[in-house]
Amino acid sequence: MSIENVALAGEVHEATAGDFDALVRIHRARVLRFIFASVRDRETAENLTQDCFLRAYKARVGFRGDSSVGTWLMGIAANLVRSHEGSSRLKFWRRALRSDRDGSIDSLAWIPDGQLSPEAIAAAREQVSAIWKVVARLPERQRTVFLLRFVEDMELLEISAVTGMKEGTVKTHLFRALKTVRSAIEENPIEEQR
Amino acid sequence: MTHLSSQQISNCIIRGATSEEAGHARECKACRAELERLETALTRFRSSVRQWSDSHAGSQIYRVSYGLERGNRTVAGLGSVLIHAGILVTLLVLGSLKPVQLAVRETVSLIAPDLSAYKAQQQIAKGGGGGGGRELLDASKGKLPKVAPKQFTPPRVDAVADPKLPVTPTIVADQPVPNIQSNNYGDPLSKLGMASNGIGSGGGIGLGKGGGIGAGNGPGFGSGSGGGFGGSAYRIGGGVSAPVPIFQPEPEYSEEARKAKWQGSVLLSLIVDEMGKAVNIKVARSLGLGLDEKAIQAVEKWRFKPGMKDGKPVPVIASVEVSFRLL
Repeated sequence: MSIENVALAGEVHEATAGDFDALVRIHRARVLRFIFASVRDRETAENLTQDCFLRAYKARVGFRGDSSVGTWLMGIAANLVRSHEGSSRLKFWRRALRSDRDGSIDSLAWIPDGQLSPEAIAAAREQVSAIWKVVARLPERQRTVFLLRFVEDMELLEISAVTGMKEGTVKTHLFRALKTVRSAIEENPIEEQR
Repeated sequence: MTHLSSQQISNCIIRGATSEEAGHARECKACRAELERLETALTRFRSSVRQWSDSHAGSQIYRVSYGLERGNRTVAGLGSVLIHAGILVTLLVLGSLKPVQLAVRETVSLIAPDLSAYKAQQQIAKGGGGGGGRELLDASKGKLPKVAPKQFTPPRVDAVADPKLPVTPTIVADQPVPNIQSNNYGDPLSKLGMASNGIGSGGGIGLGKGGGIGAGNGPGFGSGSGGGFGGSAYRIGGGVSAPVPIFQPEPEYSEEARKAKWQGSVLLSLIVDEMGKAVNIKVARSLGLGLDEKAIQAVEKWRFKPGMKDGKPVPVIASVEVSFRLL
């Protein structure tokens, strides 16, 4: 599923409720994935995704169509994630739930690669969970940029449209994030056994 | 050609390799391995996230079916209402219980502040006054003038004919004074007779001095001194402050008392006048053997800060106990 296959991209502001349903169906997985990767809590991610589409629905008239619908929705999602991170009200609970979230991260770390030996699969899972932990600890901007680039496979220009940062800034944040993640990868090296 | 730097590798990953870098990576095994390792890790990360999202993508349509496990808002709201109602009911029940009410009531302790310092003084100032016109006859009977806090002109039996500045004569008194119905001013306690201002001096009517009526001194009425009505000076209280001794020479011992090893105390009753001197000293409790006289001699030399009323010194009745002790 890519952003470009959305037929109704240009007609969002004329969309009826039914059309918006189609839009939600197409984009929801992507938005949810990004938000979940950012907040690492399924319940929160579901709520924020819901909020994201609610906002999009309310603001659909104001959508100018100067970017694709996917970029627009990701921008809303990024803003929601930022305000969620910023709400100090939740800081205590976030701290209290941290261990829980690490658990949910572990449950993700499953590699669908049938060609690897069981040891390699275990090592790969370890590596992925190490990356998860590092990503969770990244500053909000770096994490957002990192996820958009390496999970959502977005181009730098798209990322700059989503986050509202300049391309150079995006690159800087991406570079720093990658440096941190690389150090995590190098701490958990795996032997390639093809 | 050198190996790719760490920054170059990052750049390759972020925006794709330039032709130079790609060429190097094709040739150099170490750099290629490094790039591949990093890319593999990132791919795995991506696929783990995507896998998760694929497995949860359809969940939103059936949100309600998750129930409590997913934190149903209806259940949460209902639970919140129940908990609050429970707390409210508990508080109400506790509050309406008799023993609780009693316990709460018993712990309340009211402290009544001591207001005695602020209460109105009940003691009445007493004083007196007198005067006279240095005439041969005693003061004649008549009514008393009006009571006022300050005397401007003393009363006269015979009214001044055609005064330049007519002022109603007054006397100074704090309380109602006995009075009679009469046409002219005079001493209500005197006998009927020829009109006379009395044999006193200083204006007023009667035997005494000063502008009052009666046998005393001052602008009041009666045989005392100072203002007011009565037979003596002011008493402490009722706005009259007590005189304070400021110079107290020791009394001498009389020869007889020393020989008899006689000791005790003499109680003197006296009036402290406006100048702070002790006048009209009387022995209220005698000790004998010449000690009474020695006590009077000593107290006559004493000086007081006079008692004050309304900021002015007034004569005040005081008692002084003079102790005689042999060492």
